[in-house]
Amino acid sequence: MRFLKRWKTRTLLFLAVVGPGFITANVDNDAGGIWTYSSAGAQFGHMLLWTLIPITIALIVIQEICSRMGAVTGKGLSDLIREEFGLRITFLMMLGLIIVNFGNVVTEFAGIAGSLELFGLSKYITVPVCAVIVWLIVVKGQYKTVEKVFLAASFFYVTYILAGVLAKPAWLDAIVATVVPPHRDVLMRPDYLYMFIATVGTTIAPWMQFYLQASIVEKGVTKRQYKASRLDVITGCIFTDVVAWFIIVACAATLYAHGFRNVNSAKDAAEALHPLAGDYAYILFAMGLFNASLFAASILPLSTAYTVCEGLGFESGVGKKFREAPVFYWLYTILIVAGAGVILTPNLPLVKISILSQVVNGIVLPFVLIFMILLVNKKELMGEYVNTPLFNVITWATTIITIALTVAWFWTLGKGG
Amino acid sequence: MTTVALSELLGSPVFDPAGTRCGRVRELALTPQEDPARISTVIVRTTSGDRLLPFQAVLSINGGLRASTSSSEWSPANGAEGLFFLERDLLDQQVIDVHGRKVVRVNDVDLHQDIVADHPVLKVGSVDVGTRGALRRLLKGVVPLSALRALLRKIPPKPIPWEFVDLIETDPARRIKLKISHERLAKLHPADIADIVEDLAPDEREAVFETLDEEVAAEALEEVEPKVQKAIVESLDSDRAADIVEEMQPDAAADLLADLPEERTSEILLEMEPEGRKEMVELLEFGENTAAGRMTTEYLALSPSATAEEAVDALRHFDGSVETLSTLFLVDSRGTLVGTVPLAKLVLASSSTPLLALTQEPLISCHAGAKEKEVAELFDKYNLLTLPVVDDHNQLTGVITSDDVISLLRAKL
Repeated sequence: MRFLKRWKTRTLLFLAVVGPGFITANVDNDAGGIWTYSSAGAQFGHMLLWTLIPITIALIVIQEICSRMGAVTGKGLSDLIREEFGLRITFLMMLGLIIVNFGNVVTEFAGIAGSLELFGLSKYITVPVCAVIVWLIVVKGQYKTVEKVFLAASFFYVTYILAGVLAKPAWLDAIVATVVPPHRDVLMRPDYLYMFIATVGTTIAPWMQFYLQASIVEKGVTKRQYKASRLDVITGCIFTDVVAWFIIVACAATLYAHGFRNVNSAKDAAEALHPLAGDYAYILFAMGLFNASLFAASILPLSTAYTVCEGLGFESGVGKKFREAPVFYWLYTILIVAGAGVILTPNLPLVKISILSQVVNGIVLPFVLIFMILLVNKKELMGEYVNTPLFNVITWATTIITIALTVAWFWTLGKGG
Repeated sequence: MTTVALSELLGSPVFDPAGTRCGRVRELALTPQEDPARISTVIVRTTSGDRLLPFQAVLSINGGLRASTSSSEWSPANGAEGLFFLERDLLDQQVIDVHGRKVVRVNDVDLHQDIVADHPVLKVGSVDVGTRGALRRLLKGVVPLSALRALLRKIPPKPIPWEFVDLIETDPARRIKLKISHERLAKLHPADIADIVEDLAPDEREAVFETLDEEVAAEALEEVEPKVQKAIVESLDSDRAADIVEEMQPDAAADLLADLPEERTSEILLEMEPEGRKEMVELLEFGENTAAGRMTTEYLALSPSATAEEAVDALRHFDGSVETLSTLFLVDSRGTLVGTVPLAKLVLASSSTPLLALTQEPLISCHAGAKEKEVAELFDKYNLLTLPVVDDHNQLTGVITSDDVISLLRAKL
């Protein structure tokens, strides 16, 4: 695969220490994730906790499917879609992916802007500067070192776990809420459904499936080795959702409990860390959010450019010059520039936009899942590694439930007015 | 001769002699064993399933196919035919562009239509890997045909002639049935083959390496990057791997075997011929980072009293590869290194000159246990092309060539 040579210069993988699954999981807790979980906790207290266990199971299954497909076929997801479903469908999928990922890039820059605003830095300075930094990091190929720094700095997520504990939440209530869904009246509220879809969309983001499969291919994981990467995938998913649980609980115990139901800015979310760090809550939060946003902002546009170029047959790779791979470079650059540009609009409701982008993730997710299910069940493609009936059931269930949520949301919107 | 695109023909209606529509074109197929480019069969999707229509029974192609036989005479298509299907096996798949020396994805296929003896003949002319083919596929059926054609005419095509296309088929049985060999690929420079192979998925790589001639495969494998090299050798059968390793240059082969897990190396060694195995085992004993680990055991060694003419004769009969021949080595009856003769001096000398008179002064050599750094320093200091490697008794055991040193240095850059 072209992947192997090109991605060498800017490898998105830790070679020795962690595997693709763990990295994908960390990128999962990006700005969109933090905003969504914080808002979920602030707006609904513990009422969305029950969704985390089913979402984690779905995430593990879906990620495992992608890594299995990558190991068995040695090809990325967009390549498989192209080879099995043809150009037109691939084109539509790529178009959708660009739109969805654009929303995600906007969210990452919103995270950068929001986190640095806590230090009093104007977004009109921080965003352009960071956009240039992100562009340079990747194009100049220093990605590997930077990635290690990012991942190390991800230990900031632990602060949410600590904050959750120190906030003295109603533990019993939280644990019960983790298994028992709230009453149907709550379930059918449009704002609740909206947040539900956002939670699904931010945890199981479509772009992550393409990224994970491509990482597995790049790493050269073979059929025989992939059982080892299964463990890596599972631990990654569990870690990501444990952090999500604690973010929700921490915000529920601080913001929701004291009546601050709306998270409108980074300052509000930083308040959730107050029990842990007092007045310095905002420093911890800002650094965590900034780290997550910058990391994701470096990966996301690049991954999108690779996926689209590979699926549609354009030259790609940071090892190539601009002239040699124009579509790749333009796509990557435009995603960053436009994404950052949107954030520069004055008085933008950063949090609202971020959550909207995660909702879009959730709405588009079923389409990607359907393709995955069709591909992973093809005997000619996967040989003996086709899906077990259990996996098929879980994946179909996830697809149908996500579609149902979207339909229900639209319907309640119409009704409520 | 007119050109028609595959995507335009696919899905077009098929009429029987009476003019009734019996179905749609589902597939066009070749019988590569008979003719590598001519369409031999049409698969028609009718209301009673997919049916085979031999192309000889097609009367005309004009916005649809007109057949000379009625649909009841067409046999059902059960998929077990030894046919190469254009839509399933070529469209959207990756193929090797032998002329451009890279792997490309097929967007569309251009077919050449001729009339031979009043009968239409359709042949595959080229594959389109550019925007024109892509746009046609995307907009077909969405935009009216005349407007589409006008738009497409403005876009320059990126065709690859069918003669330059090398197909990749991962199923060995089908490969044999369809006579898919990689003759054209084999003619490329090994480094280009290696580039192409690195761009393929594991199954496809394996397919290429199982089909190529051992010598070609060995030369190409030497140029492939180590990680991919390992993956390829691990995927091949032990005896096939052994065949290829035997054809490789000893130093490259030793490097490769040293990187594999021990049991795999043993399996491959077992399948090798005894002499080849012995050589490998000897080389493998040396540490990879010493001079001996980098040397090759293929070199030309002659007696100092031999004449230039005898040397040229020996050159003509030399069995190994050409790289070490930039220098001839002089050894005495016990195998001790006595001198080195650059090829240039040999060519310029008269035929009766004894080789001892042509040696390069001073005689530079290194010990088998020398470290890489020392080897590189020697090459640089004395501007060497080759460096002889001697053991404790000053006997010649191998030769390090400049390409090894370049690889070594590049790895550090």
